[in-house]
Amino acid sequence: MAVSPAEPPAAELVGVSKRFGPVVANDGIDLAIAKGEIHAVVGENGAGKSTLMSILYGLHRPDAGHVARNGARIRLRSPADAISHGLGMVHQHFRLFPELTVAENVVIGAEPTRGGVLDLAAARREVERLGDLYGLRADPDARIDGLPVGIRQRVEILKALYRRAEVLILDEPTAVLTPGEATRLFDVLRTVTATGASVVLVTHKLTEVLAAGDRVTVLRRGRVTGRFDTATTTADELVMAMIGRSLGPATPRRATRPPADGPYALEVRDLRVRDRDGVPRLDGVSFGVRPGEIVGIAGVAGSGQRELLDTVTGLRGPGRGDSGEVLLSGAPVRRGRHPAVAYVPEDRRGRATSPGMSLAENLIMGDQRTPALRGRLGLSASAVRERARTLTERFSIRAASVSDPISSLSGGNAQKAVLARELSRGTPVIVVEEPTQGVDVGAQEQIHALIADARDQGQAVLLQSSELTELRALADRVLVMFEGRVVAEITGEEAGDERLGAAMTGATTGGASGTTTGGTSGAAS
Amino acid sequence: MSGGPTVDGHDANGQHANGQHADGRDANEHHTDGREVDGRGVDGPVPGRRGAGAVVALAGRIVLAPAVLAVAGALVLTTLVMLAVGVDPALAYPALVRGALYDGNLEYTIAAFVPTLGMALAFAIPLRAGEFNLGGDGQMALGGVVAAALALNVTLPAGLGVLLPLVAAALTGALVAGISAPLRTRLGVPAIVTTLLVSTPAVALASYLVRFPLAEQGTGNAQTPTLPDAAHLPALAGSEYVTLGLPLIALLTAAWLLADARGVLGYEIRATGSNREFARYGGVAVNRLAAVTLAGGGAFAGLVGALIVLGPPYRFVDGALTAPGYTFTAIAAVLLATGRPVAVPFTVALLTILSAGGPGMERDAGVPSQLTQIVQGLIIVIVAVFATVRHVRRRRNARTEAGA
Repeated sequence: MAVSPAEPPAAELVGVSKRFGPVVANDGIDLAIAKGEIHAVVGENGAGKSTLMSILYGLHRPDAGHVARNGARIRLRSPADAISHGLGMVHQHFRLFPELTVAENVVIGAEPTRGGVLDLAAARREVERLGDLYGLRADPDARIDGLPVGIRQRVEILKALYRRAEVLILDEPTAVLTPGEATRLFDVLRTVTATGASVVLVTHKLTEVLAAGDRVTVLRRGRVTGRFDTATTTADELVMAMIGRSLGPATPRRATRPPADGPYALEVRDLRVRDRDGVPRLDGVSFGVRPGEIVGIAGVAGSGQRELLDTVTGLRGPGRGDSGEVLLSGAPVRRGRHPAVAYVPEDRRGRATSPGMSLAENLIMGDQRTPALRGRLGLSASAVRERARTLTERFSIRAASVSDPISSLSGGNAQKAVLARELSRGTPVIVVEEPTQGVDVGAQEQIHALIADARDQGQAVLLQSSELTELRALADRVLVMFEGRVVAEITGEEAGDERLGAAMTGATTGGASGTTTGGTSGAAS
Repeated sequence: MSGGPTVDGHDANGQHANGQHADGRDANEHHTDGREVDGRGVDGPVPGRRGAGAVVALAGRIVLAPAVLAVAGALVLTTLVMLAVGVDPALAYPALVRGALYDGNLEYTIAAFVPTLGMALAFAIPLRAGEFNLGGDGQMALGGVVAAALALNVTLPAGLGVLLPLVAAALTGALVAGISAPLRTRLGVPAIVTTLLVSTPAVALASYLVRFPLAEQGTGNAQTPTLPDAAHLPALAGSEYVTLGLPLIALLTAAWLLADARGVLGYEIRATGSNREFARYGGVAVNRLAAVTLAGGGAFAGLVGALIVLGPPYRFVDGALTAPGYTFTAIAAVLLATGRPVAVPFTVALLTILSAGGPGMERDAGVPSQLTQIVQGLIIVIVAVFATVRHVRRRRNARTEAGA
């Protein structure tokens, strides 16, 4: 359906402002979502997208301004209000009951009843009807925990449509999808908008915006900095509006020369790991990383990356039925964090830092027992402070004071602090997970440079990322994981979206990706 | 798909926490980041505030500290209660202070301060690692019984006669509390549950031992005979009730404060308490630390038991250890200190004065001594309200991101 400006917008935020203490998250934002359009909302982390969507979904009340539906002002005191006004939200982290079926999940909270009893047959019929209508087919009797992520997301969308949502808000919907699944999602969204409903797409992936959106609203520091029609705009314009300047060309930082065929700094041999329920998570993973090389790990979330990296870093001890070896410079490692492996975890607040402790205290974790930090009575306060000062300077971490809690730093600066701590150790092996997640674009460049520097200094880097562009820019080789196996090995230059995407769905195995592929046995021998 | 559950687990662990990161604070961060993007060239840390401004800020921080606000709020509410029931606060408060600190009462108050401070450490040490030791009573009672049994049955020279029971009692307390560590780390049963569950039978066992095998023959009282002189804790000069226990506990408290602030172990314990996964990631043996801190806390509780038994009246009187409620007054004091170990001796002193002054207030001003318990209760309620508000606020901020 074409966007018709004459009609009142399906949903509208008018002059919305919201403060959290001294922080202005939204500052007089106007956003109009027309009937039948896919409207993308983009911006860096902290630009105010999340707050704005919370207001549209009734989770927050604006300090000023209001929400309107079809031109009429409405009051949203809770998500229940939002739902009753035809607003639906598909959360990034699905809110489904894994033990229940698709039909049960779709109707939960608004069940069709017959004589006061849940009418499961009606629920099933409803799921099938909606599925046919929108091309969102899902088996109503399948249990959620047996379904792939893409289908689970469909169930979330069905849930919203079942509640008669006419404005669907999707929060970073492609974060957990393969490129192929993402394309299918956008086809579904097109079907949804064809019926006159509207879609709000919150994302930070500009290629998606340009491919799938009709119009774009760009937020920066709580204000609207640009409104574009995707047909007439370019990625450069969007970046300019998002960060206030344009990015330099995406320079690949791959190694200038391939590392010598020397021995591996880190080697993994035939790793097999089962989870608590005995389900295999790693199913014979083997590969090696040489000094001066960045090896990327790609794959849909949950393909075994978590288990692989936790095993490599020693945080996951061998369980029953596990087998295989992790070797550092040829020597097998036992359980526990190994001092020769630096590790930058994905979960910055949960694992990489202790938000309540000071920057200085966060910067010494792992080194607290080294003699360099010893004073007469335990830790030397001056040595700890001195190290913090040195690192903040060397890695240009911006902090008011090294004794302030690390949680007072911006995401980018906190991440640089983690990198500073881990990289400054000069270990032979570095494991890096999602190094630029939740980090603004400016800091992303610096972080990529730091990782490339480490590689150039001869450190072996294992880099896991869900951003394919990041892998392409940094990794000399990319290993693609699927269902606990390495299903493809692709060199950095050849790692196009299609090649990677196909491998991530398990569509290709070793043989299909040609001569560069090591296949399931990887590069190990 | 077999990978299903992990997908969710992964999200919950990894990305959700990241979502939390981008909470209300995130807007704040964004602010800083904005400066970063625009104000390139401003490198290095910004110097902190110095001089007079810092002093005022520090004074403000102290006055507005939750602990100070809680005590002030509790006193205001108590005053209102007094006025409501027709008691003159101008009479009651001085009577309270007199009852605790003057008219020869100071000695009793100090004698109560020592075990309360010891029990505060019994709670505070594991708390720094995020473990709750609510079993102080049991650890203390068994410590006291072991001390009494040793003193009664083993003839030792002076000096050693005191030292050995003290050490044995500390070990006993450590053992009793230590039981909870493997239950916590292997079976996942929280220490807050197991310490409390172990405590009741431990107190009962101590009571049994005192009433039967160790009982004083012929009197029918539930108590041991008087301990031999060699096992008497020497009283401090000019005092009858204040023993060597005071300098001992003071010394140990100072040692703990130092270790907590400066020691490597103290750092690792604090890291474990503030973010267990972070500590584990940093190579800290978090399970071993849980055991060490629980046992350390238990050792203090056991030691307190011995200090009471080896002090006047130099015997284990059944119920005399647990009846005054040192354990829970101490827990209240530690909670009131809200995560600042240095404040613990002061909050302990405050709450000890409150409970010790109660009888004096009742005698002189006709105010039921239970009023002091009301004050204590109000303080805890207010501290809890502060903590809850903080928690809810954090949760709401987290939800902002997760929900949008």
